[in-house]
Amino acid sequence: MSRFRVAFAVVTICLLASGCNSVEGAGTAQDATDSGGRITVWVDPPRVPAVNAFQKAFPHIPVEVTTINGNVGSTELQQKFVLFNQADKGWPDAIFFPSNDDIAWATSSKINYARDLSVDLADIISGYPGGVIEQCKIGGQYRCLRNDAAPDVFWYDKVLLAQWGYEPPATWEQYESLSLRIAAEHPGYLTGFLGDAYAPDRYLWASGCPTNDTSSEKHVRINLADRQCARVRDLLARLLSAGALSSTGIFSPDAAALGRRLVMSPGAVWWGNFLFRDTWKVPAGRITAAKPLRWSSDGEPSTSSEGGGLWGFSRHIKGTQLANIYTFARFVASDPRWQVELSVGLPAFKPLQQPWLDKQRQERYLADFDHAAAAFVYATTIVRPGRDYTRYNTGTVWTYTVTPALTSGKPFATAWRAFSDRLSREARSFGYTVEP
Amino acid sequence: MTQLRIPVQHRVRPRLVVAQAAPRRRPRPAAAVLVAPYVLLLLVGGIIPTGYAVVKSLQNESETGFGGLSSFIRVAGDFRFLETFANVALVLCIWLPIMLTIVVVLALLIDASPKRFGASMRFVYYLPGALAGIANFMLWLFLLNPGQSPVDFLWRGFGYTSLSEVAQPANLPFILAAMLMFQGTGTWVVVLCGGLNGIPDALLEAARMDGATAWAIVWNVKLPMLRPWLGYMALLNLAYGFQMFLEPQVLSQVTHGLISPQWTPNQLSFTYAYQILDTPAAAAMSVILLLVTLGLGLLVVQRSRLFQDER
Repeated sequence: MSRFRVAFAVVTICLLASGCNSVEGAGTAQDATDSGGRITVWVDPPRVPAVNAFQKAFPHIPVEVTTINGNVGSTELQQKFVLFNQADKGWPDAIFFPSNDDIAWATSSKINYARDLSVDLADIISGYPGGVIEQCKIGGQYRCLRNDAAPDVFWYDKVLLAQWGYEPPATWEQYESLSLRIAAEHPGYLTGFLGDAYAPDRYLWASGCPTNDTSSEKHVRINLADRQCARVRDLLARLLSAGALSSTGIFSPDAAALGRRLVMSPGAVWWGNFLFRDTWKVPAGRITAAKPLRWSSDGEPSTSSEGGGLWGFSRHIKGTQLANIYTFARFVASDPRWQVELSVGLPAFKPLQQPWLDKQRQERYLADFDHAAAAFVYATTIVRPGRDYTRYNTGTVWTYTVTPALTSGKPFATAWRAFSDRLSREARSFGYTVEP
Repeated sequence: MTQLRIPVQHRVRPRLVVAQAAPRRRPRPAAAVLVAPYVLLLLVGGIIPTGYAVVKSLQNESETGFGGLSSFIRVAGDFRFLETFANVALVLCIWLPIMLTIVVVLALLIDASPKRFGASMRFVYYLPGALAGIANFMLWLFLLNPGQSPVDFLWRGFGYTSLSEVAQPANLPFILAAMLMFQGTGTWVVVLCGGLNGIPDALLEAARMDGATAWAIVWNVKLPMLRPWLGYMALLNLAYGFQMFLEPQVLSQVTHGLISPQWTPNQLSFTYAYQILDTPAAAAMSVILLLVTLGLGLLVVQRSRLFQDER
């Protein structure tokens, strides 16, 4: 019996000990190590050229690069970090987060991976427009760097609209009526995609629909019955039933053929190069961008954002390794050899925006380039606040509720109900108190 | 039809496990050596993790002390809890009866075929099963993708033109059942052929001399003697089905999130462990899964008289 008691006491002590690790700050971890210089970098496939450019620019810094799954809303990354924390080793020194919401767990007290950059990279941080870097400010500290600014603008096929005699819309109401006309007069052409993890950003965030409005670490406002949700829900329902929207997502292989039949759509700045030019292979001189659509009932114009990737850097390193990772951070955030020469998105770092635009002009891909460039820069200044990065992923909930419902021919109202119901429950399962 | 009566002394069943240790005899060192690797693996892969899961599941949410059954209550109250079990149950309901039938029919056909032809057919049936795990999955990605698939006509017949349409959640139980069937059937045909080979020729000969037709022999001799083998097959596949993880997880990724990341109980447990970061709840889910599988397993063992020694 006494042996049993001893065993019980040992187990209890172990259990208590395992839970008593104090929460550390966001600075260098107590057990940080120094590799002597070698850095490990994890990037999604579109960011591999950034690492290649870095290796060319700094050949004396040895870099180990791992390409990770770049699917937006993918959940496998977090698992690896939980295991790294348990093993107390294995973290990458720098990472490009495939989903922006990843920064929520990467800075949570349990994983606490991303280091505070406020002091060491203050000069870089001051180079970002306020609205672009704001979401990296977590608990008063800057815990990530923005790779590219990704506000939504309004994309359209200038040649096709001119040929059909239509004016590009400026408001969501005009977008709806023109979409309905196109669906009726030119069946087979599309005016939007609804099936990807960015769709709720593109449409719901743009309307001010509260899906991720946090007031504290554990409180979030979700109210899909809100007037600002209802207006966009009704608009999407009408466009879907007219056949103007596709239930496919922009990243789906099926979208390749459909993308060439996309006449107009709200979409992020990176759509121009990444989707229209490189993925959908739309010929040069057709596509251009206008200022973001606005709701005519809203006083101020505003827009949403789709991605605009985030870089995070490890708390678990020090010494030369840390110095090298800061060199890498400065390079990917502010060096024209990546941001201007290679990156497909508008640099988030303000001083590089004009050089990037100048280079894009020379590539002669977009029609009416200056008009589009002005729209890009303007859009970075009007991104609507109130959409925070959270532990639950709104895009994922959207893709497994709305997308399959629409694919199987169910009405949008059914899909919306499923999304609405799931989103609140998902937030609660992560410990959030959901307020309407 | 002639009613076949097998004398009791002939009702010998090919036994899977001969667990009758001779009484009052000390185990030989050779037996200990033979059993040791199994015991070691059982400890490392079974008993220790199970013990860890049980201890972990009794901790409180912040893992700072004893939490009683709170993690079980938390996980059972999750809005996806029943749904994940229903999903798996649906796959099992489609998969197991069809596979059992196909396996029995194929094994009986092989058994009834001339020796060399039967052996080559057994090898042919086994081939798909040789594509284990991820290789099988990759093959299915091509099969499911209209445009690349050799069964494209089938998808077009359903009106599907893209992978997203084929792999939509409503079709998932059927797709998973087909995948599992494709992977498992061949192996189980080989196992059942072993069972059929174990039936004494004298018994079959006796039945024939009593005037039993081929059908009567199948129905009254072969099938009853295969019963424990079928029980064994149901047992292992039930366990596999309830632990399903890889197939829906990877399908969810390749369809860009069309399938919920919490489709099976194991995926829900995974979500608790690695996204919600509630390890006790994840452990509780594993313990629940273990209890369900164990309960069903015992039922199968009892119904099929799997480990019963009839003499």
